[in-house]
Amino acid sequence: MKRLLYAFLIAASASIFIVQAKAQVIVIANPSVKASEVSKNDLKDVFTGASTSLGGASVVPVLLKAGTAHEEFLQAYIGKNDTAYRAGWRSLVFSGQGSMPKSLDSDTAVVDFVTHNPGAIGYIGKATPHEGVKVLAVK
Amino acid sequence: MTRLLAGAIVLALGVIPATAQSLDDLNIQIHGYATQGFLYTNQNNAFTTKSSDGSPAWSEVVVNVTAQPIPKLRVGVQARYFLLGNFGNEITLDWADADYKVNDKFGVRVGKVKIPSNLFNETQDIDPSYVWALLPQSVYTLPDRDSQLSLYGGVAYGTLKLGNNLGKLEYRGWGGYQVIPSSDGYWIALREAGMNLPNGLSGINTGAALHWRTPLTGLMIGGSDIRRPAWSSPLTFAPAPGVMLTGSMDVKAFNEWAVFGIYEKDKLMIAGEYNRLAPGITMSFPNMPIPFPIDKRQWYGMASYKVTGKFTAGIYDSQQINRALPLSTGPARFSKDWVVSGRYDFNQFLYAKAEEHFIDGTDNYFDTNLNPNGVKPTTNLTILKMGVSF
Repeated sequence: MKRLLYAFLIAASASIFIVQAKAQVIVIANPSVKASEVSKNDLKDVFTGASTSLGGASVVPVLLKAGTAHEEFLQAYIGKNDTAYRAGWRSLVFSGQGSMPKSLDSDTAVVDFVTHNPGAIGYIGKATPHEGVKVLAVK
Repeated sequence: MTRLLAGAIVLALGVIPATAQSLDDLNIQIHGYATQGFLYTNQNNAFTTKSSDGSPAWSEVVVNVTAQPIPKLRVGVQARYFLLGNFGNEITLDWADADYKVNDKFGVRVGKVKIPSNLFNETQDIDPSYVWALLPQSVYTLPDRDSQLSLYGGVAYGTLKLGNNLGKLEYRGWGGYQVIPSSDGYWIALREAGMNLPNGLSGINTGAALHWRTPLTGLMIGGSDIRRPAWSSPLTFAPAPGVMLTGSMDVKAFNEWAVFGIYEKDKLMIAGEYNRLAPGITMSFPNMPIPFPIDKRQWYGMASYKVTGKFTAGIYDSQQINRALPLSTGPARFSKDWVVSGRYDFNQFLYAKAEEHFIDGTDNYFDTNLNPNGVKPTTNLTILKMGVSF
């Protein structure tokens, strides 16, 4: 019984950690993007190349090359790891259906790109300063 | 065709400076991948290789260049080197198109475009994108893959949101001119029988596909239909040394339809497809009609599971039966293939695949020249493959 209790506590701690991890990444967009919130499905469509618009306006996704925010974003909103995610994009690239989104080195580079490109949408760690962009609430 | 391509490249090179845009503005991207396969069969030689001795004669190299001068317009070209046993060993144009996407509801692609039929036709040649070393051969036959991939024409596409939480409907409609060149793997059996289509076989190909992204997240159900009007081409036949007959191959108008579905949830993927191929083909020589009976029912069911972040395991069962052949033809009338597969991704660029096929029947995989003593009814095929992409 004690073992079962320990297992439950470990699982509960892990789930709390996962919830906290999800909260550490935020979705940002250029102020030209009219939407102020986005559904998880629409966000997934934009970042997997299935859609190029949000709320009727064109958007351009931008990615992080690697890092904690990147892994957390993929885990929370795409449901794939980095290898599987990029394999999906390669299907579009090699079948002539899409171009790979820009991948940037750092959170600050993503903020800079999103700030200066109308329609741009990206994700960063919550702690990264992000003046000049809007934060989209994910429903 | 080569001149047309050269002209297009010269035109593109002329246009790029004229736009006075930087390379970054044009969003030029270069991507590619290369794979090397190794085949081993316990008996029979498969895919025109000497696989019963172990054969590395399966190589592919693909390079593509795309540019996006304005957000809604993308242009690109992709070339491929393909070697499989005794055929291929040449560089071909996969696709070269301009894609203008007005919005999510409507876009159009023109040039040499991929045919968006079936579940995987557009992506069946993109090895880095799937688990398997070989897709189910009942539907996605490797030797004649390239000629089924694309046509010269256009595709209209889009996604429509259905109200009342009914999901989304993706549509594709296409039309154009499809060419199956004389060197294509489709004609291996004919060539080995002494026949040749000097001009290949070509004609109009139109069709449509619908994919319903259902309200159940991850579930897509769809169908496609290809319509080919009558095709005809000269055919030669050398039944004996010094004897050459000239005739024709005539294909009556026919439809090729398919229904399919795929469910993807977290680490799990389940998919299946059924399709029927029944072209009315006649080969005619003076006083010598040769029947070419085909009425194939082809299907598969597959599942894969991502065991760890780097390792994915999968299985599928792929079957086909040619009902136009009499029962007396035995194993030549069908092919059943049970497959166990694994893929390991070392990183986002490099991967390896291992796969075992348990094949019953001989309606697929095997040619005559490399199996001069006949084909035995069952075969185990082992495939090892390495791939790199960027």
